Amino acid sequence: MKISKLWLDKFFDAPLPSAEALGEALTFHAFEIDGIEAIGKDSVLDVKVTPNRGHDALSHRGIAKELSAILQIPLAHDPFTNKSDISKKTDAVTVKIDTPLCKRYIAGYIKGVKVGPSPTWLKERLEAIGQRSINNVVDATNFVMFNTGQPLHAFDAAKLGSLNIGVRTAKEGETLTALDAKQYTLTDSMLVITAGNVPVGIAGVKGGMPAAIDEHTTDIVIESANFDGVSVRKTAQALKLRTDASTRFEQGISPELAARGMEGMLEFIQHQIGGTIEGFVDIYPEPQQLAHVSVTIEKVNKILGTQLTGADIANVFTRLGFAYKEEAGVFEVQPPLERLDIKIPEDLIEEVVRIIGYNKIAAIPLPRSTIEPAINTHFYTAEKMREELQAQGYSEVLTSVFADKGERVVLNKVDGVHPYLRESLVPGLTGALAKNKPNKDLLGLAQVKLFEIGTVWKGGTEVVMVGTITEKEKAAEKILIEDAAAASYQNLPLSIATRYQPFSKYPYIVRDIALWTPASAHTEEVQVMIKTLAGELCVKIGLFDTFQKEGRVSLAFRLIFQSFERTLTEEEVNKIMAELSAILGDKGFEIR
Amino acid sequence: MANTSTPEPQGHIHPISSLIREANRIFYDMGFTFAEGPLIEDEWHNFDALNVPKDHPARDMQDTFFIKDEAGLVLRTHTSPVQIRYMETQIKKGIQPPYRIIVPGKIFRNEATDMTHEAEFFQIEGLVVEEAATLSTLKGTLSKFLGEAMGGDAEVRFRPSFFPFTEPSIEVDMRLTGPAAPDKLRDKWIEMGGAGMIHPNVLANAGVDAKKYQGFAFGMGLDRIAMLKWGIDDVRLMHSADLRFINQF
Repeated sequence: MKISKLWLDKFFDAPLPSAEALGEALTFHAFEIDGIEAIGKDSVLDVKVTPNRGHDALSHRGIAKELSAILQIPLAHDPFTNKSDISKKTDAVTVKIDTPLCKRYIAGYIKGVKVGPSPTWLKERLEAIGQRSINNVVDATNFVMFNTGQPLHAFDAAKLGSLNIGVRTAKEGETLTALDAKQYTLTDSMLVITAGNVPVGIAGVKGGMPAAIDEHTTDIVIESANFDGVSVRKTAQALKLRTDASTRFEQGISPELAARGMEGMLEFIQHQIGGTIEGFVDIYPEPQQLAHVSVTIEKVNKILGTQLTGADIANVFTRLGFAYKEEAGVFEVQPPLERLDIKIPEDLIEEVVRIIGYNKIAAIPLPRSTIEPAINTHFYTAEKMREELQAQGYSEVLTSVFADKGERVVLNKVDGVHPYLRESLVPGLTGALAKNKPNKDLLGLAQVKLFEIGTVWKGGTEVVMVGTITEKEKAAEKILIEDAAAASYQNLPLSIATRYQPFSKYPYIVRDIALWTPASAHTEEVQVMIKTLAGELCVKIGLFDTFQKEGRVSLAFRLIFQSFERTLTEEEVNKIMAELSAILGDKGFEIR
Repeated sequence: MANTSTPEPQGHIHPISSLIREANRIFYDMGFTFAEGPLIEDEWHNFDALNVPKDHPARDMQDTFFIKDEAGLVLRTHTSPVQIRYMETQIKKGIQPPYRIIVPGKIFRNEATDMTHEAEFFQIEGLVVEEAATLSTLKGTLSKFLGEAMGGDAEVRFRPSFFPFTEPSIEVDMRLTGPAAPDKLRDKWIEMGGAGMIHPNVLANAGVDAKKYQGFAFGMGLDRIAMLKWGIDDVRLMHSADLRFINQF
């Protein structure tokens, strides 16, 4: 979520450190930061809130609370404690919930608002986090959502047609034109908000166009409600309509937040927008109960491998604003209502370690194992097979398990091609052979020989095969039969490569040169000399033939020319070869 | 006149195989057993048993390959189902922890491929269930493995994260120092993978007494380790079957 630094500042009396320092604090104690962007005078952090913290941290207040705990700066202006009073009741609006998937619905009825542009500060805050300013009422609902994490919606009361609000399952085929001007066809697995039983919004996802706020609006109904996360996620998915509201409901949020959202909106009405507060309706059949989770000091240290004291742990809970009692080494903790993620002792242990800092965890070696590890006979056999084939000149390839035919098929392959799971290694090996054959000279191989040890799906089972192919022998494969007698792993060689060298994607040209050398000449020295003389386009040289006659030795070399930038022409390679021959001739070598 | 033709050269082992061989050696010496499991998995082992709830986005169509006309089967999206399979098997045999396993193997993600993304790639999983398995010994274990596999002294850093199957969950970074560290990697923090203390639900789902036992688990991309170790610039080379690549190892 995008988090504005200037927005965060308002939660604190003490100055916050730089955006970079905030990013660092979050990275090592809470969430990854995807980036920090300067927007006007503001800095905007892109905070990757983890899925377990969508309940409470997809908001500026949530992030401010984290920073307060991490940096130990008091959260001086917490909208969750400095509440406006939403207790005034109204009979003008009624709310009826006909589904267990809506745990709370608060409606606020305000008359005589003046819709207009938002003040500059509000526009700036919203625009900094990538939101478009619409008007003061809609912007206020958005601001409150990004501030508290509670999605809100504002209806034009006059356009609703009825002030009898309902929450119910949609009827199959019922339609609604949403605020994006698109018409959505609903199903009976979706929830709708109704006015006089006519749909006016897709619950938790998007409001309806007919009751949209515009410049003529004077009376509004504000919705601050709680909808089931799974239901909202499925609806948003089915309609391909993911919104900032649905993103928050999908996580599952506390119904207590509905009150925090409405209080936030009320403050806007009172201080920014104006209007007469008619009152509120709050349907909340089963208020959320505080959770109790306990953990012992011993367990914390046992999981972390630390020697933390009760005071260390208490300090973390205090910083996080968790109510707790400590007795005989047992912490009984009441996490705040919005922290739906804290359910088991391990959740509390995670809070302790991340606030204290993972850098306080020492790296301690595992003690020696008390039991002998088992030998994996399957791996043992595969390794033996690799060793044998390698010794015979075969190189190991891995080819894709996705194929054009097979017994089993993947349902939903994103690229749509090769959806079958292979039933044989042969097609892959055949393709690999064809691919490598043209590179034989470049590779310095007399013959391409390949093997693969891989899974196939055949005869209703999943089985590992070993397959081989060479230029001379057809592809063959057999089931890898485990050597049950394996007693210990052999100490097989590891790759001695240090660094991979990218290869040219352009074709190469081959030229041979044979020359007479004195019997005293060292072949390697001649080879190095020729390679150097041939220049940097000569990427490889190999001796392929030698013979002796009358005290002289004939050496035949194969030179490979290739460029990383382009396709070489026959002419330029011929020219290099002619120059090479001339120089070698000057040096006294006889070219054959 | 005698022609001397060069003897047929040795073939080459795929770098992933070499890496698995090396990882097995390092972990075997630390008492880890090499465990394996099927590539087509059931949703129970791939998701439910690992505490990934039914309505978790990871179970949505875009990430997971489902098998057509075989409800409840997927191409495994991680090596973690083998954790469950191994523990289930041990419990069935009446063997209680300690357990130490590594699971190197192929996994699948249903996504478009590019230089850093492949639909099929390799992961190495580790699982330790015993009294001594703490966040501290997790750090020690990773530091030892990464140092030996990558070269140099590996300093390991944890950052907070979230996985349904671990609690606490962390991201693992590594920094290589000392003369044996590869030049290109020396003194830089590099992201290596995810880890954490096994969620008690996971132990319980596999039949292990979660009140009595605790453990840690980690997962890292073998392709990524190989790419870092050898400076490989394109993950697609791994399945290219191109000897211009393979014969360098």
